[in-house]
Amino acid sequence: MPVDAPTEVIPRIDDEYDYDDDDYYEEDEKPELPPDGPVRKTVRGIGELLITAGLVVLLFVVYEVYVTDLISAGKQQDATLALDSEWGSNTVEPPPVDPQRQQKLNLIEGKAFAKMYIPVFGEDWGFSIVEGTSDKHLEVGPGHYIGTAQPGENGNFAIAGHRVGKGAPFNDLDLLGSCDAIVVETQTQWFVYRVLPMRGEVAGWGAEGKAKTPECAGISPLQTTLGDAYAKTVGQEIVAPTQGEVISAVPYAKGDAVPVEQQARLLTLTTCHPRFSDKQRLIVHAVETQTYPKKDGFVPPEMKGQ
Amino acid sequence: MYGWIWRHLPGPLYLRVATAFVLVLAVVALLMFVVFPWAEPKLPFNNVTTPTQ
Repeated sequence: MPVDAPTEVIPRIDDEYDYDDDDYYEEDEKPELPPDGPVRKTVRGIGELLITAGLVVLLFVVYEVYVTDLISAGKQQDATLALDSEWGSNTVEPPPVDPQRQQKLNLIEGKAFAKMYIPVFGEDWGFSIVEGTSDKHLEVGPGHYIGTAQPGENGNFAIAGHRVGKGAPFNDLDLLGSCDAIVVETQTQWFVYRVLPMRGEVAGWGAEGKAKTPECAGISPLQTTLGDAYAKTVGQEIVAPTQGEVISAVPYAKGDAVPVEQQARLLTLTTCHPRFSDKQRLIVHAVETQTYPKKDGFVPPEMKGQ
Repeated sequence: MYGWIWRHLPGPLYLRVATAFVLVLAVVALLMFVVFPWAEPKLPFNNVTTPTQ
């Protein structure tokens, strides 16, 4: 029978390495702290203040990017619920058959009056649009510039929205390509807008493959169909914060350059650019291509993701 | 500053830790719900509108 060899006891070997460093063996002894003079106290106080300031700035980033989202989500939900109950409670006459005669919406500042969807951003992307573009309004959701056209009207239906925080409805606005659908729903109607050709696409639009895709049916650079007044109105542009002319009835045109009856039905979205900055504004122009009356259970085919 | 606060907290260690935690939470809440909402509109990164003409 094999028997385990008895455990050999190896004597402990002392570490005799010479570190050549006098401090090595003295590390355990704490050096005497000099007395807490006013200079030490001041320097330590400043250090603590700076660290605190750094933490506050970090906390502000968390607030800006996450906490405002939570606050805005609640406000957006309230606005949507109010809009739904309003749409559900009062009955309105069906929209006029004559497309030239649009029903005026009763817009009240701070109140939601329509919903918008961008199917390419996903089926869950939907926001109620409120009237007004002050900070207070935009906290709720995308805001309609007071005085600009209403959905379905000739002119420019202009909407501003946050890109960072506060629900960030327009976070991905730069990703919208030409012919992407933007759907607006009012109490009685659906309006389908499609992003106009980009600046680089305008020249060869007819020849390009994209212009022949079903999404682009009815889309062409506005300059070719409506004349030079619309020469600068393209799918996307980046402008200075002062350039209010992008939301004019005819962008960049003064007053009555084009009579109202001949104006295109535009949708313009504005947000800040670049992200986390307000140096510039990102602008997206779209044109109305289709409207549908609202019916029970009917959802525009454009709403299905593309 | 922090050392001074710690030394002035009353009670045994566990109570001091609890009080310190509550103090931190109070400061964070003050920042989140009072200071930041006040300061934010004054900072240059969340303006999304253009002037209406």
